[in-house]
Amino acid sequence: MKRFMQFILLATIMACFSGVAQAEIRIGLISDLSGATSDVGRPYADGVKDAVKYINDQGGINGQKIHLMQVDYAYNVQQALAAYNRFKSQGMVALQGWGTADTEALVRQVARDRIPTFSASYSAHLTDPNVAPYNFFIAADYSTQLRGVLNYLHRNWDKDRAPRLAFVYPNHPYGLAPIPAGREYARELGFEIVGEENVGLGDMDATTQLIRLNRNKPDYVWVGGTISSTAVILKDAERLNMDAVFITNIWGSDEQLLSLAGSSVNGHLGLQTGVIYGADVPGMAVIEEITGGRPQMTHYIRGFASMLVMAEGIRIAMENDELNGSGIRDAVRTLRDFDPMGLTPAVSFYPDDHRPNMSVYIYRLHQDGMELLAEEELERRDDWLGK
Amino acid sequence: MQGKCGLFFTTYARESQVFHTGFQKSSLAIFFIVLLISPFFLSSYQVSLLNLINIAVIGAVSLNLLTGSCGQISLGHGAFIGVGAYASGVLTLSGMPFLPALILAGGITAMVGMIFGIPSLRLKGIYLAIATLAAQLILVYIFMHWTSVTGGAIGMGLDTPVIFGFDFDTDLKMFYLTLAFAVLAVIMVKNVLRTKSGRAFVAIRDFHLSAESVGINLFYYKLQAFGISSFLAGIAGGLWAHYTMYITPEQFEITLSISYLAMIIIGGLGSVLGSVFGAVFITLLPEVLSFIADHLSGFFPNISTYFLAMRDGIFGLILVLFLIFEPDGLARRWQLAKSYFKLHPFAH
Repeated sequence: MKRFMQFILLATIMACFSGVAQAEIRIGLISDLSGATSDVGRPYADGVKDAVKYINDQGGINGQKIHLMQVDYAYNVQQALAAYNRFKSQGMVALQGWGTADTEALVRQVARDRIPTFSASYSAHLTDPNVAPYNFFIAADYSTQLRGVLNYLHRNWDKDRAPRLAFVYPNHPYGLAPIPAGREYARELGFEIVGEENVGLGDMDATTQLIRLNRNKPDYVWVGGTISSTAVILKDAERLNMDAVFITNIWGSDEQLLSLAGSSVNGHLGLQTGVIYGADVPGMAVIEEITGGRPQMTHYIRGFASMLVMAEGIRIAMENDELNGSGIRDAVRTLRDFDPMGLTPAVSFYPDDHRPNMSVYIYRLHQDGMELLAEEELERRDDWLGK
Repeated sequence: MQGKCGLFFTTYARESQVFHTGFQKSSLAIFFIVLLISPFFLSSYQVSLLNLINIAVIGAVSLNLLTGSCGQISLGHGAFIGVGAYASGVLTLSGMPFLPALILAGGITAMVGMIFGIPSLRLKGIYLAIATLAAQLILVYIFMHWTSVTGGAIGMGLDTPVIFGFDFDTDLKMFYLTLAFAVLAVIMVKNVLRTKSGRAFVAIRDFHLSAESVGINLFYYKLQAFGISSFLAGIAGGLWAHYTMYITPEQFEITLSISYLAMIIIGGLGSVLGSVFGAVFITLLPEVLSFIADHLSGFFPNISTYFLAMRDGIFGLILVLFLIFEPDGLARRWQLAKSYFKLHPFAH
């Protein structure tokens, strides 16, 4: 009994000391490792985790280590909510979120609790501080990406007639998000919109929709799905001998698409807001070292960059002696052309504008890789904020 | 009604009481006292789980009334909860106070539920399930495309509930609000089952032809079941909307309907107590699995990755094991446990 009491006493003392020594920055990570979007959720989460590892290996932020708390919410809003509350009770100062469903469900809560949140849901309305004062992301929003590629296509159009454009997207919040902005800007630039079709995220066939579209002979077709639906569309388009150039959006163009869709990707365009593995930028050397030279998907690189930007915000907040939610939020808003080691275009945030940048990388897709075609930069127009 | 051992009823009124013994009443009273003071001893995370459970209880008892007691399978319950969420959202944004907006949202959901319940006169079993699945798909489509009202894909931001100037802006305050509605919903369903309507529901579930031949108007009572069930689903939706403060169509998809069906199957079809057990079980299961994964990762660094990937499989396995070994759900297990202590040391 005496030994037991001694053990309890020792354990209590150790617990007290570990509490004192616990000067660490607690960050929550809500990931989809087993749910509907886990194919891209896993590499993204790995990117965030490896960035934390890198920062901690460098000695942390101003000497304080990051303690990352991760939960797999399986793309279920209720579980995301529970995870968020758990992190909050464990002293989280900032959150790395994931998809549309959880980010939107938490928009008001993170604002109320003052928890700056970096997500991988790039819906334009999250960039408006009036709607989402504590939300950030490090890629140009979906609407900006679409506008960027339209700008590029318009500039490189050399025929006498107006270019014909069609949209194919899933009837899903993520698919619908950039369409109104795309329609409006396409008309502004003089595109002729010749069709809109829905292909669901889980659809195995898109022939009927593509036959309908093909009648109007589009020059360009925007594809706003994820990898599997994009692969289905590209394969069916190849089978139907469609002439149009397809533009696959950020969650529909990565290394998995190339292997899934095979030769049908050749010559089409893919949008990215970050570099691909092996690019000649300073951050890639770090990533190659951490991952032991194993190639990583583009989503991993964005996850990595997202954590680097958040860490920079935390660093500034610490220097201002304000290591708390609103302190980090204010610090992030002072970032001007912050370069996350070349992994993405430079990032700036403003108190009244949370658009990180207005840049999109346009890649030409080939079966055996992606080739950078252009970096399109738009002007930061006020009337585009949040739309 | 099944009497307790050594318990005899001399009047019908005595027999139809909800609680037959003082012991039942006092245990329930103690349970409630513990429940009411528990948030002061729990972390905000644990209180938030209690909130999710309270809301799930309302949804589960409402679905159990429709599916478990009346035999009308519904795969559209998630969307009905969504109707309640959007209705109360739109009403409060237009300036209506929270409480009337919530009740009215329940009414609107009841109307919508009854419209989709109309095919139930002609359709049974799996056919009705498909008809309600259509309701699920149509309603989510409406949430997504009726942009001027629902906000479409962007969704709708809401404020926390305010009743007579009191703002329920923390998990602790929300706990008492959601608990109050959960208790009211449970009492309501328990009492509906003791009325003529409730007996008619059970008769319809057991065999519709016999029910009709003893003079039960099938259409009327089926619609009534849809109406009451959807009303409560609407209340659950309204509470969910104001608890999360942001609703999007993705929150009310088919997975939500399925998780409510899982609650009543695991809890026990046709049992009010079972609905409560099911709601607690399904809400806590992912948290418990995460907890186990977290603690195992202390000993085996990479186990959480594999364990998390297996989580859906474990969830499915638990469901299948329930169907095989305890098709009457947790409520039946609870009965057996109680009987064991009552009869011990005798076998019968």
